[in-house]
Amino acid sequence: MLPNKTSVINTRKDMFPDKKSTSKQMKTSTLTNAAGLNSLITFTVLLLAWISGFASRLFAVIRFESIIHEFDPWFNYRATAYMVQHGFYNFLNWFDERAWYPLGRIVGGTVYPGLMITSGSIHYILHSLNIPVHIRDICVFLAPIFSGLTAISTYLLTKEIWSAGAGLFAACFIAIVPGYISRSVAGSYDNEGIAIFALQITYYLWVKSVKTGSIFWASMTALSYFYMVSAWGGYVFIINLIPLHVFALLIMNRFSNRLFTSYTTFYILGLLLSMQIPFVGFQPIRTSEHMAAGGVFGLLIFVATLRHLRTVLTKSEMKYFGGVVAVIAAILLLILICLTYAGIVAPWSGRFYSLWDTGYAKIHIPIIASVSEHQPTTWFSFFFDLHILVTTFPVGLWYCIKRINDERVFVILYAISAVYFAGVMVRLMLTLTPVVCMLAGIAFSDLLELFFKEEDSERDRSNNGSEEESEEERERSPGRALYDKAGKLRRMRHERPRGNGDGLGVNLRNGVVIGAFVLMMMFTLHCTWITSNAYSSPSIVLASYSNDGGRAILDDFREAYYWLAQNTPIDARIMSWWDYGYQIAGMANRTTLVDNNTWNNSHIALVGKAMSSNESAAYEIMTSLDVDYVLVIFGGMIGYSGDDVNKFLWMVRIAEGEHPQDIRESDYFTERGEFRVDSEGSPTLLNSLMYKLSYYRFGEVKIDYRSPSGYDRTRNAEIGNKNFQLTYLEEAYTTEHWLVRIYRVKKPNEFNRPSIPISKRIVARNANSYVSKKTPRRKKGYIKGRPTIIKGQKPQRKPT
Amino acid sequence: MRFINKCLCFVAIFGAANAGGPTLVLLDNLAIKETHSIFFKTLQDGGYTLTFKLADDANLQLSKYGEYLYQHLIIFAPSVEEFGGVLSVGTITDFIDGGGNVLVAGSSQSGDALHELASECGFEIDEEDSAVIDHLNYDVSDNGYHTKIVADSVNLIDAPAIVGNKNVSPLLYQGTGLIADTENPLILRLLTASSSAYSYNPQTPIRDYPHAVGKNTLLIAALQARNNARVVFSGSLYFFSDEAFTSPIQKAQDGQKYEKSGNEAVATMIARWVFKENGVIRVSAVHHHRVGESEPPAAYTIMDDVVYSIDVQKLAGDKWVPYETNDLQLEFVRIDPFIRMTMKPVGNGRYEARFKIPDVYGVYQFKVDYTRIGLTHLYSTTQVSVRPLQHTQYERFIPSAFPYYVSAFSMMGGVFLFSLVFLHYKEDTKPKSE
Repeated sequence: MLPNKTSVINTRKDMFPDKKSTSKQMKTSTLTNAAGLNSLITFTVLLLAWISGFASRLFAVIRFESIIHEFDPWFNYRATAYMVQHGFYNFLNWFDERAWYPLGRIVGGTVYPGLMITSGSIHYILHSLNIPVHIRDICVFLAPIFSGLTAISTYLLTKEIWSAGAGLFAACFIAIVPGYISRSVAGSYDNEGIAIFALQITYYLWVKSVKTGSIFWASMTALSYFYMVSAWGGYVFIINLIPLHVFALLIMNRFSNRLFTSYTTFYILGLLLSMQIPFVGFQPIRTSEHMAAGGVFGLLIFVATLRHLRTVLTKSEMKYFGGVVAVIAAILLLILICLTYAGIVAPWSGRFYSLWDTGYAKIHIPIIASVSEHQPTTWFSFFFDLHILVTTFPVGLWYCIKRINDERVFVILYAISAVYFAGVMVRLMLTLTPVVCMLAGIAFSDLLELFFKEEDSERDRSNNGSEEESEEERERSPGRALYDKAGKLRRMRHERPRGNGDGLGVNLRNGVVIGAFVLMMMFTLHCTWITSNAYSSPSIVLASYSNDGGRAILDDFREAYYWLAQNTPIDARIMSWWDYGYQIAGMANRTTLVDNNTWNNSHIALVGKAMSSNESAAYEIMTSLDVDYVLVIFGGMIGYSGDDVNKFLWMVRIAEGEHPQDIRESDYFTERGEFRVDSEGSPTLLNSLMYKLSYYRFGEVKIDYRSPSGYDRTRNAEIGNKNFQLTYLEEAYTTEHWLVRIYRVKKPNEFNRPSIPISKRIVARNANSYVSKKTPRRKKGYIKGRPTIIKGQKPQRKPT
Repeated sequence: MRFINKCLCFVAIFGAANAGGPTLVLLDNLAIKETHSIFFKTLQDGGYTLTFKLADDANLQLSKYGEYLYQHLIIFAPSVEEFGGVLSVGTITDFIDGGGNVLVAGSSQSGDALHELASECGFEIDEEDSAVIDHLNYDVSDNGYHTKIVADSVNLIDAPAIVGNKNVSPLLYQGTGLIADTENPLILRLLTASSSAYSYNPQTPIRDYPHAVGKNTLLIAALQARNNARVVFSGSLYFFSDEAFTSPIQKAQDGQKYEKSGNEAVATMIARWVFKENGVIRVSAVHHHRVGESEPPAAYTIMDDVVYSIDVQKLAGDKWVPYETNDLQLEFVRIDPFIRMTMKPVGNGRYEARFKIPDVYGVYQFKVDYTRIGLTHLYSTTQVSVRPLQHTQYERFIPSAFPYYVSAFSMMGGVFLFSLVFLHYKEDTKPKSE
């Protein structure tokens, strides 16, 4: 029995190493080098978390190849490659004349450069160490590497908030949780990949600085906030959450000099640093999103002043304290509103309105609503992305609320706001994931603590005693004097006996422990399955599986882009819907009209108008924009649902927003309000450019003998407009599975002479009045009224 | 970074740079060769190699192995219903689209082929048997139907490049009328009938409203296609005949008599124009750079001062000589023209424009689009990028920022002083408290 017991004790220590390490005396420790063992275990667990997180993100690389995924990563990759080639200052001043033709794009001023600088500096360091790595490989593997750093920073943050054991749980969770993997698989070279790390480390440093009240940690917070600002637009979450934390602490009357020092230092440094990013510029002092931080800064100084005055003056002011705060806040709010109306402070941007009112974007800004990741989240996707964590994290939240202290206020606010935002937008699931991992880590840690500890209650009691001692000591010790007084609440007295109750037998305890481990194993299985099946598709290479399990790679996108790169002039201008702009620029290296940086709505609307107009109206737009080629994605041949016809209504809506007199969404529906591509579809739809380009010559195709010719597999319909010719465009290239179709726009001088069609002629003539008498043998023409000589007859001449 | 210089008109013009050239002449019957000998003689003297064929010849062909055998085509075969050989309306329009020039003359008996060809070029020939009738302006030698009309030379188009001097004797015309597509911007109305003319069958009573009435009745019309190929349609083969060239002309009504009609002069000029001897201009060189430099930069910066110059040449005989005018305009376009200005001629066919690039970045085009009646279309675009200021190009110190500089430095000094005071104050207080 004895060896058994010790092993259990060891496990407990492994789970909660901080308890021992914080107590200096180690009275109860059976192992002399417990601190060393603890750090070894911590190190091992974090390393394994890093490795497993890295490994589970490699599905795409193993199945396909080391390639940049999706859409935005292509731009990031292109920008990084440009920076590596031309240097940082040229990148900062880069004017990209190949995007947004003919407007151009100032890349340096419209991009968060943190991602490029990160991978650029990794590239620089490796090359100065004579390790020749191509920049593409760094870009591909950047997000998996940073997932390990995220795990470590999550560990640190959870450790600050709860315990090291919870921290290790949280680190393991975040390493493999699908909600984070979805944005950080190998090849998904996007801002979010490094931004979650920056977010977590900023929060860790903030909590650390609130705990210690040191200017050093607050400055570190500001620096890491600067990195976050340079990496992702989501920095606004930080600059609102931290002031919210401070505000909540003020409301809860938890003001302290530590809080004052850390926030004032952080705010001023962070403000100045964030304004150094060209894309952010003066936004921190001019837009409403950043105003809360400034308001809280003022309030904090006001409160500090008042507190100081209270120590100097009488105590009678205490009663009026709340009232004065409210009045001051109201005045500040009033000033802010006045400034907003005066136009000095910019009002909230559209994306922010859509955070409060989910229907706002659909009505006012179709371009935001058209993006799938801006849709509201379904319950299904919560479970899909978080699995067991979504059910356990309220438990952790409850623990935090019950044993509240300064930093737990922070994590509570973090959790509540992130849950709300994740419910509004699918994309913001990403900000919810870390806090869910942390709180679920706390829940699991506490659960196991409870059920492991009861193995021997005597030992537990003595533990309790020692911990109480150590707590008292901690309070007494000068180094910990600044420590939060709420820290004592961490282990409440009345919590203990409940867990220590006599009712829990060994079987129940083992059952709960085994159940918890089974849950975690299922979580691991779920994470791997989701990662492998849902989040590891590069989306520029598609895979299809046949009935016998064989895999077919559909490489149509790269085929088309390669065709463009090889067969079009270097300055050719390609029109496509904005989704494919970055890929065309990145892979085909051709000029695009619109791309995924959707900064100019009217330009996108112009392209949308061209796509939804009929051919001749579209031709006018295309010639005014000097379009040489048009690229459309067509999935009807293989049943690919993300094609342009399915996106078509968004093009119509966006075009209608800017050109309501020419494009009306209702014209594209049938009388019963359906969007159909078959013969009952609306004539406007059947004659629109997008329809014609998608289905050109498709009517001749018979996919299999059961369906009629021109049968669209994506929409399960036989197309309604089959035999048509293109006047102003000609088919230039169609890929193997018809996924990408490229058309050449004819130049005006190819319509050399406008001829008069028979229907418009004034002089009525029967078109077939003369029947050709030519035969392959006899090529002689015919001139009427010409004297013909027939042997034996006199020449005759018709009277003229 | 890169600029693209494309002059669409170059290729088309080079194809026909030399006066003269192989010409195919299609005839109804070989007699026309004799009855129109003056016209053909003029052409042959001008350096053209004429190949006479019957329009229904079984061996007719315009191209061989993808190369055109002829540069020009004359169809003096009004009543052809179907061309012989591989020739058809389709091959003739392909010939036009390939840059060939065509001169067509019809008559009251115009056949199907000509009707089709006309429609392809944006004209219509009036119905068979119809003729242009003018009861006021007919020649004294008219046979009573008033179809041999006298067209005043004031009705000629106002373009010396095409018809030469307008002060010529009146013109003799006998044939059908043409109707032009009103929406076609490429059509030139070379010679219109007078306001009292109409086109109808002279032998039948008028029952319908005539298709062409008054000035809408075109006698000679031309099309300059977008590739600068030229097509001239005449409703009258008689217009080019020796008889019309030489006969005296006198209106039957008021009767000033001219010894010789103006037909020869006008027909010769039209032939020279349609075969691209006259009115051919081209861009020979385009230069642009910043003021004070000589080479174009990789990209212009906003608010740069630029110089743009373009050299325009005109074909004279078989030499290119400088083309002089004063109405050549330059546009600086990014979707819309941001700058539109008349360029200054600086001599020797060179035109120059100096301007300041607007304060808007983007991809611009220097665009010269010069369309004048009778001249080939001059079109030249040069794409340049205009980039915003670099981070080093902004003003370093601006006056409105001086208060901030002052506040920053005063703060630094203040902190320094304060820390000095603070340190010394602390030392002083200790003995006091004790």
